[in-house]
Amino acid sequence: MRFTYAAPDPNTPPALDGVTLRIEAGEYVAIVGANGSGKSTLARHLNALLIPTAGTVAIAGMDTRERTHRLAIRQTVGMVFQRPDDQIIAATIEEDVAFGPENMGLPPDEIRARVRQALETVGLWEVRLRPPHHLSAGQMQRAALAGVLAVQPRCIVFDEATAMLDPAGRRTVRLMMAQLHAEGVTVITITHFMDEATDAGRVIVMDRGRVALDGPPSEVFADEDTLHTLSLELPPIALLSRRLRQSFPALPPNLLTAPALTSALDALPHRVTATPAPPPPPPEPHVVGPELIEVEALGHVYLKGTPLEHRALRNVTLSIPDHGAHGLLGATGSGKSTLLQHLNGLLRPQEGRVRIGEFDLNDPRLDLRAVRRTAGLAFQMPELQIFEQYVGDEIAFGPRLQGLEGQALRERVRWAMELVGLDFDAFKDRLTFALSGGERRKVALAAVLALQPAILLLDEPTAGLDPLSRRELLTHLQTFRGAGMTLVTSSHRMEDLARLAETLTVMEDGRSLLSGPAVEVFSHEGQLRTLGLGLPAVAEIASALRARGWPLSPGVLTAEALAAQLEELIPRA
Amino acid sequence: MPDFEFQRYVTIGQYLATGSPLHRLDPRTRLLSGACLLIAITAARHLQGLGLALGIALAALLIARVPLNYALRGLLAPLPFILFLAVLQMLIGPQAADAPALVSLGPLQVSAQDVLAGVIIIARFIALILLISLTSAIISTSEFVHGLETLLRPFTTLGLPTQDLVLMAQVTLRFLPLLALEAERIAKAQASRGAEWGTGKTSILQRVRQTLPLLVPLFLNSLQRAEALALAMEARGYHSGKGRTSMTELHFRAGDAVALLIAAGMSALILLL
Repeated sequence: MRFTYAAPDPNTPPALDGVTLRIEAGEYVAIVGANGSGKSTLARHLNALLIPTAGTVAIAGMDTRERTHRLAIRQTVGMVFQRPDDQIIAATIEEDVAFGPENMGLPPDEIRARVRQALETVGLWEVRLRPPHHLSAGQMQRAALAGVLAVQPRCIVFDEATAMLDPAGRRTVRLMMAQLHAEGVTVITITHFMDEATDAGRVIVMDRGRVALDGPPSEVFADEDTLHTLSLELPPIALLSRRLRQSFPALPPNLLTAPALTSALDALPHRVTATPAPPPPPPEPHVVGPELIEVEALGHVYLKGTPLEHRALRNVTLSIPDHGAHGLLGATGSGKSTLLQHLNGLLRPQEGRVRIGEFDLNDPRLDLRAVRRTAGLAFQMPELQIFEQYVGDEIAFGPRLQGLEGQALRERVRWAMELVGLDFDAFKDRLTFALSGGERRKVALAAVLALQPAILLLDEPTAGLDPLSRRELLTHLQTFRGAGMTLVTSSHRMEDLARLAETLTVMEDGRSLLSGPAVEVFSHEGQLRTLGLGLPAVAEIASALRARGWPLSPGVLTAEALAAQLEELIPRA
Repeated sequence: MPDFEFQRYVTIGQYLATGSPLHRLDPRTRLLSGACLLIAITAARHLQGLGLALGIALAALLIARVPLNYALRGLLAPLPFILFLAVLQMLIGPQAADAPALVSLGPLQVSAQDVLAGVIIIARFIALILLISLTSAIISTSEFVHGLETLLRPFTTLGLPTQDLVLMAQVTLRFLPLLALEAERIAKAQASRGAEWGTGKTSILQRVRQTLPLLVPLFLNSLQRAEALALAMEARGYHSGKGRTSMTELHFRAGDAVALLIAAGMSALILLL
């Protein structure tokens, strides 16, 4: 099967090339691959949204090319898409779920019964009359799933359905996939999260329009080098297992899930009692300057004085040292973005105080542009805000407004592009809309860096990126940090925060719940779990071992630290 | 900062679930009454009728429990345009030959009648905007769609693609508040890169110039959204024409008949006064 997108250039490589696949009823399949590898294109062939240029796609024996089959195919294969707010059509959840059955022409009573059943399955019956934009992203994604369930399809395709969700939302969607699979529904999930792929019974790796690997997760994730050439990576647990196997060769290979790794470690001979916990490793020395950012009892209400007003922040207090690396975590809607917008003067404090370096945001005479130059903010999905046609112009926008021109401007743009790993000569005249997702993200980031801010504020910098782009971005951020920039990052990925942040603030419902060194915040396991946030993979394993009686000290966040502690407890063979 | 809260000024297309008596009417009643009044206001020729219309709109806003200051804020954005139109009408509207000029500016003469015409324009637009805000506050998108669908059903036999038209209206309405939100986000992104948004010291000319870079991503993002939405709809088996059903069934009650009669009576009054 082959598919080429209609393009003015006849030499455009096909999005899919020579794909031959057979997915049996009742399978649980994960499709992974870099951006542009053809995953979504493949998925869209499965319910006749796209028709192959050559070759055939048959769903339950029906050729997708036949127009008469189309409705039946769409009732057999349902799809949940990436962005929650783009797939909800109606003004209330209930109406939206009814959309599919209405298209099937079912009688009103039957529709109501199905809507009720679908909404109860995803746990949204109570909020059925709410408008979609009053739900969290996770709830919206469940609503979208309910809309698919109401059609009662035999197969459901999740097209990066978890990419925009917070940890709790992701976990629920993953549980639902497993549950659907157990009920006999064929589940196909496209994802950039390798740990999600380990849930599936079969993993298909796409590369430049072809099927590169196809097999059970243990087989696909066995060879790290091959994965790297395909721009993928090992799931976090597999990465940790590999590191631990260097210290403990007795561990079996291919441990992909937390329970498997924990049991395997627990099966090794080890000392449990009478050994005092080894002293915690000394906290890594870091440059602690004076407090650079201070937020005190900050509160904010959106659309104040209208019927739509809602409170986003209440009594938020935190401080970030100069040259620090601070992380913000919390569920969607917990106030992270609103807080970040206070840190560069986009929003002024309505209640409480904010100080950024020498700038007091409560001072009405303050020059806000100076604040925004000091603290550069990269928004969530910053690539959506690109407005210039050429990469060079986009990045020059800020410096030009600062009054830079000619050679100085050129140099500044070159400098910013090199920081994010874009070649100046190769990229400056490229069209912005023709770039890949990862490249667009880099351009947007360079556009902020071009202002040479002392503080870099990042809202979900890795959301929606494929593993390779994500890894590159994280490396760049670590470089900036090394160069003395203060970083404030919000993220749903505990792995990213464990890697980037020294201090953390946990937000809940507009409040700053916990704030302090990362090691300390991650030691509040129970609290993080009730908030639905979870732990980084290493901390997860350490906690599971502790539950089985291993005397591990708290605050283990890196694979090295865990290995060091385990070496104390596991006698060498 | 109110400077960024574009949503604050978009009162059209914003449904407010206040559960007022008006919300409990059959959607068809609300639609038809709204349409009647709109036509009457558009066609009314005298200031008295428009004054009555303004009164009705304000009273209806009160009954619908829409906060007045919120509804009035919706007038702020179009106000400059309305004033501009009114001034234009005063200066170059059709001149009554024998009307004495109040002010004359070279060849332009403004008579008492011209001033009246200007005031009528202002009153008409204000009444229209208030009424449209009201109707969108009391009719949710789904009610609007189902109401319109049943009202237009007779025309399907004439070969009119009513379902498609209705769906088009539905999607447009759902996207209006989203557009405001999106514009807000883009303005913020530009401000954080040094553009003069929300610093409170911009001239009108600068504001116009700033809007241009705002429109490009707004337009592109809307296209992307529209494409994603079309895909989601198609994936869920949307097709126009026969064979679609609806979950909700509408009921026309005695109260609806009364409300419809009142609206029709008021419309007639607005026209005749």
